[in-house]
Amino acid sequence: MDAVLAQGFLVGGVYALIALGFILVFKSSGVLNLAHAQTVAILSYLLYQMIAVWGLPSWLAIVVIIPLGAVLGVLIERLAVRPLLGQPFLSVLMMTLMVSFLLEGVRILVWGADSFTLPFTPRQGQGWLGTVLPDWVIPSSALAFVVAMLVFVLLMLLFRYTKVGLSMRVVAADHEVAQSLGIRVKRVFSISWALSGAFAAMCGVLVGMVFTVTPVLGDTVLGKGLPVLLLGGLNSIPGAVVGGLIIGLAELLGSHWFSAMKEVIPWIVMLVILLIRPYGLFGEKRIERI
Amino acid sequence: MLPSGVFNRRPQEDMAVIRTRAQWLLLACALAFLVTLGLYAPGHWMNWLILVGVYTIAALGMHIMTGLCGQFSMGQAAFMALGAYTTAYLGTTYGVSPWITLPVSGVVAGFGGLIFGIPALRIKGFYLVLATIAAQFVIMWFIKHQSWLGGTYGIMDMDKLSLGGVELAGPTPEFWWLTLGMVVVMLFFAKNIQRTSTGRKFVAVRDNDLAAEVMGINLFRTKLLAFFIGCFYAGVAGWLWAHYLRSVQPELFTFQLSLWFLGMIIVGGVGSTSGAVMGTVAIMLVDKAGPSLSTAVQDAFPSLKYQVSGAVSLIMFALVVMFFLMIEPKGLYHRLERIKLYYRLNPFAY
Repeated sequence: MDAVLAQGFLVGGVYALIALGFILVFKSSGVLNLAHAQTVAILSYLLYQMIAVWGLPSWLAIVVIIPLGAVLGVLIERLAVRPLLGQPFLSVLMMTLMVSFLLEGVRILVWGADSFTLPFTPRQGQGWLGTVLPDWVIPSSALAFVVAMLVFVLLMLLFRYTKVGLSMRVVAADHEVAQSLGIRVKRVFSISWALSGAFAAMCGVLVGMVFTVTPVLGDTVLGKGLPVLLLGGLNSIPGAVVGGLIIGLAELLGSHWFSAMKEVIPWIVMLVILLIRPYGLFGEKRIERI
Repeated sequence: MLPSGVFNRRPQEDMAVIRTRAQWLLLACALAFLVTLGLYAPGHWMNWLILVGVYTIAALGMHIMTGLCGQFSMGQAAFMALGAYTTAYLGTTYGVSPWITLPVSGVVAGFGGLIFGIPALRIKGFYLVLATIAAQFVIMWFIKHQSWLGGTYGIMDMDKLSLGGVELAGPTPEFWWLTLGMVVVMLFFAKNIQRTSTGRKFVAVRDNDLAAEVMGINLFRTKLLAFFIGCFYAGVAGWLWAHYLRSVQPELFTFQLSLWFLGMIIVGGVGSTSGAVMGTVAIMLVDKAGPSLSTAVQDAFPSLKYQVSGAVSLIMFALVVMFFLMIEPKGLYHRLERIKLYYRLNPFAY
């Protein structure tokens, strides 16, 4: 039982990491970026390409993939999202979905059904990390958990104490107000998408390590990320962490007793929460005027 | 806008679904063309036509839910599955006549829609989208894990549909005529809803639900009714698809298919009934060109992996919808209206 709880906790950390990627863009530009999942997937396949096909050393591949992710994020923003500024939200949502279809199509064309275990994945009983941890902890999940918590703290600091973070929050609240305050809205957009792309690359490394790089990686990321996102509230960073931990624990505990239910438990938890607290645990309720 | 010199003299003329003689004539010609198409269209086009009919009905449901009432749904395929499985299960296990299960399928899908539509009273936008995505995954997971529904294999060997002694099965002219008839009836209902008070309530809720509530519209009832009708359409489409294939499998009703329906109404123009039909035809035409393009791609780049056709159809769908979102956000219907307006006002620009 302890092992199940610990495992649920660690997996929850990974889910929180996935959800933070969605929140980063939503909090700074008000766009729910559904392409995030496929971005993560295609970047982890790119990592596979670099390591397994081109034979780069792992550390170099990781160093290269993060700026590549940032470039991909900026490209998506420039080519797909920026032309739709000011359009109704369904258009922007649909556009990010279409970007994700495009990325998935390219991934299928280039890599097909290949699957791959990243060579630097820490294993139980091997290496430093594998021997230090007790044997009921999976080292890759633990590593991902630690990174997720680190990123969480960094993001909190970014949004609370830096000028860039402040301008991102203003832009998300209202584009016109931000513009009249002298904030360069387009630049803030570019920065936040670049950050999110780099974040997706990091997610690709960690999630690829935890779940291994398979053709369903993108769907897994989407299927775990969205319930966590909604549970915590769309624009709350602590919400993502708490939501991730809750979903991770609920999933592991639920599948401990009803093993067939593993894949739907996140969605069911999400629906229940929607009925009780429509804007998530930490989300801001929008006050509307006619 | 009517051409100069043409007026609606009576309220009935203003309300009519088909307004002018020219429209009646065009409609008759189009119907005659579509009916006779069944006699000489080659087999693969017949298959395509029937599939277009099935998708059109589901897309019309999306049009009522999303286009008219503004309740975004990304779970239409799952509601279709509810309808398809209802008829397949009742038909194969209890031997209920398919004509009785036709309304039953629609109602079952409609109630499924009601269950997942209940959160819609309190949430909207992204939150509602995510709730309907959850509907897609929960319903399909439920179907896949029930042994009495055949699990992942689905239900096979359904009886052939028959009407007045004529057997309707497979890509035959008879089945196409059935499809066409159902599309016309459903299209009429969708058009008709827009000129009733219910339809106007839908539009009011879409445009601003708070203002609508202040004006005395019961939001809960209206939103749930939109969900019910939209999912009823999905159920009917599922019924038709199940009887066309004479089997149902969970793999038919994917999340991607739900997004296809959303793409169809976007390409056609959100909020227009004929737009939903045009969008369906356009997307399906693009899809029809998929196989030939994917063989071309495969010839050009032999190093590509397998699954080229799936990837090519994904990419093409994405590119078409992206094109419309960027260049023509109001859709094909809007462009058609512009062209018509141009010829009506010719030689003056306004």
